[in-house]
Amino acid sequence: MRKPLLPRQDALWWWRHPAYRRYMLREATALPLFLYALCLLYGVRELGRGETAFNAWLAFMGSPLIIVLQALALLAVLWHAWTWFQLVPKILVIPTRNGSVPGQWLRLAHLLPAVLCWVLLPLLAWWALGHVVGGAA
Amino acid sequence: MNRSLPRRSQEPVAWSLFGAGGMLLAFLGPALVAITLLVLPALPAGDGASVHAAILAALRHPLGGLLAFFALALTFFHTVHRLCHGLHDLHVPLSARLVGWLGYGTATLLSLLAAVWLLGL
Repeated sequence: MRKPLLPRQDALWWWRHPAYRRYMLREATALPLFLYALCLLYGVRELGRGETAFNAWLAFMGSPLIIVLQALALLAVLWHAWTWFQLVPKILVIPTRNGSVPGQWLRLAHLLPAVLCWVLLPLLAWWALGHVVGGAA
Repeated sequence: MNRSLPRRSQEPVAWSLFGAGGMLLAFLGPALVAITLLVLPALPAGDGASVHAAILAALRHPLGGLLAFFALALTFFHTVHRLCHGLHDLHVPLSARLVGWLGYGTATLLSLLAAVWLLGL
């Protein structure tokens, strides 16, 4: 009997297993993040065009569609960060005298400072911009 | 003479930029989105001029500008890398060469725009 022709993998292969679906979800985080980065790039341009243009950009960032995009981007970047740090021990292996630094420690050593950044940087921005706007806010 | 040499892959360069962008996004991304989604709208209205001046000053500072440039450029390269591979995973019938040129070309162009606009502030 001749060797049968193997059918080509169909485009929905990733839907059939939870692990594949999680993989696709992780890859899909790139789409809202790309669009969000475009919004920021647009903001840089408007910033250079003066106060009126910048205020128009602020209003643009407050429009319903862009609010939804930012909410999606926030969920996407959190999922990206979580999956990214889960993979750290596969890429970063630190040898010790007997074995290597446990993966769980490496994950924590990334996740803890990251969470600190996520909480402290917005608070810092709130504090700094509040000072600028209200004199004391 | 060089015909026997294998064609060099762009993957190491693409992956380095992807990795750098991924790390930067994992640390700073949530904070950045929280700032534009929650902090900027929550500022007391009526004094747009001082917010504009403050952000302008931050990005005119060499460190601020450099950070903004890397945040934008590496995010573009990171996301484009994933989107290109995603098209391949979904079996979109486009050649990898074409997708690569379009994708990384777009990321390069957008990064150049970011550099020009940041330097012009």
